[in-house]
Amino acid sequence: MLPKLDPLLHSELRLAVMSILAGVDEADFTYLKEQTGATSGNLSVQIDKLSEAGYIAVEKGFKGKMPRTTCRITSQGVEAFRNYVKSLKKYIGAGRKSSAQ
Amino acid sequence: MENTNEKNREMTAQESLSLITETLNSSRKEIIQRSSKYYILWGALLTVFSLMVYVLWKLTDKAAWNCLWFALPAIGSPLAHWLSRQDAAERVQNEVSRITQGIWTTLGIFSCAVAAFTLGYFYVSEGAQDFGMSLRAIVSLAGLTAEMVLIFGLAECACGVALKNWTIKIAGFVTGIGGLAIYYITGAEYEQLLIFTFAGLVLMATGLLVKRQYR
Repeated sequence: MLPKLDPLLHSELRLAVMSILAGVDEADFTYLKEQTGATSGNLSVQIDKLSEAGYIAVEKGFKGKMPRTTCRITSQGVEAFRNYVKSLKKYIGAGRKSSAQ
Repeated sequence: MENTNEKNREMTAQESLSLITETLNSSRKEIIQRSSKYYILWGALLTVFSLMVYVLWKLTDKAAWNCLWFALPAIGSPLAHWLSRQDAAERVQNEVSRITQGIWTTLGIFSCAVAAFTLGYFYVSEGAQDFGMSLRAIVSLAGLTAEMVLIFGLAECACGVALKNWTIKIAGFVTGIGGLAIYYITGAEYEQLLIFTFAGLVLMATGLLVKRQYR
């Protein structure tokens, strides 16, 4: 039986954010926006969802006089991300098997 | 305006895995590409400084011009810091960027420490009467040039390993081994400084090649 894919991660923008954060210590909102090509509103909503799930930690502060939102992946997020990738591999493996048959 | 639904859509397993792989690869490429401007900066500074010391020493016959080397980190570090403030991607750090930064910082500390130690040792223990003689002895006798070019090549090579980039690895070998070969072939004193001109040019070429690779 194939595992259920984490619905929180199985969305293009949220997965992109998690993939970026998995490779860096932390990233600010501007950087995430540039990398994903998402709009500020949409990105903000998805970041909130990931934060509420405990997958990322969001810190709001200031850099000089400019407000700055910084995100970093949590250990819970890393675990979820790993499990998600494992599940994906199982799905792809199962897909290959069935197409071979 | 962007299609919000498109960005939030669910993907197939294959698409998800491709997105993750693509994002991770693009982070790696970005870090390597970002490093290229520092190779160009430090390569240019190294070339200019080595030629400056070479020419001044040759014209005046004073080895004391070697003290100018200490100005290299003093000028290069603020410039590198200024460069790092220029784009948003610079604010992002990861394990690899920290390792490469650490390698170059260690190289800087080693170079200054080795130069200062050798200078102090020769000045005190050899009883050199004037500062210029000590410097001449260091460059000509203590093999400082060879030591420096070797650790320089080693640092560059280690960065290539950390960044998984063959151009940088090869450039490190060329600098270290090629520099050492030039050391044995060239004459003593100021001629040896051309090793650093060579190292600087290799570093600049590496930066330009890497920049082109990941454009």
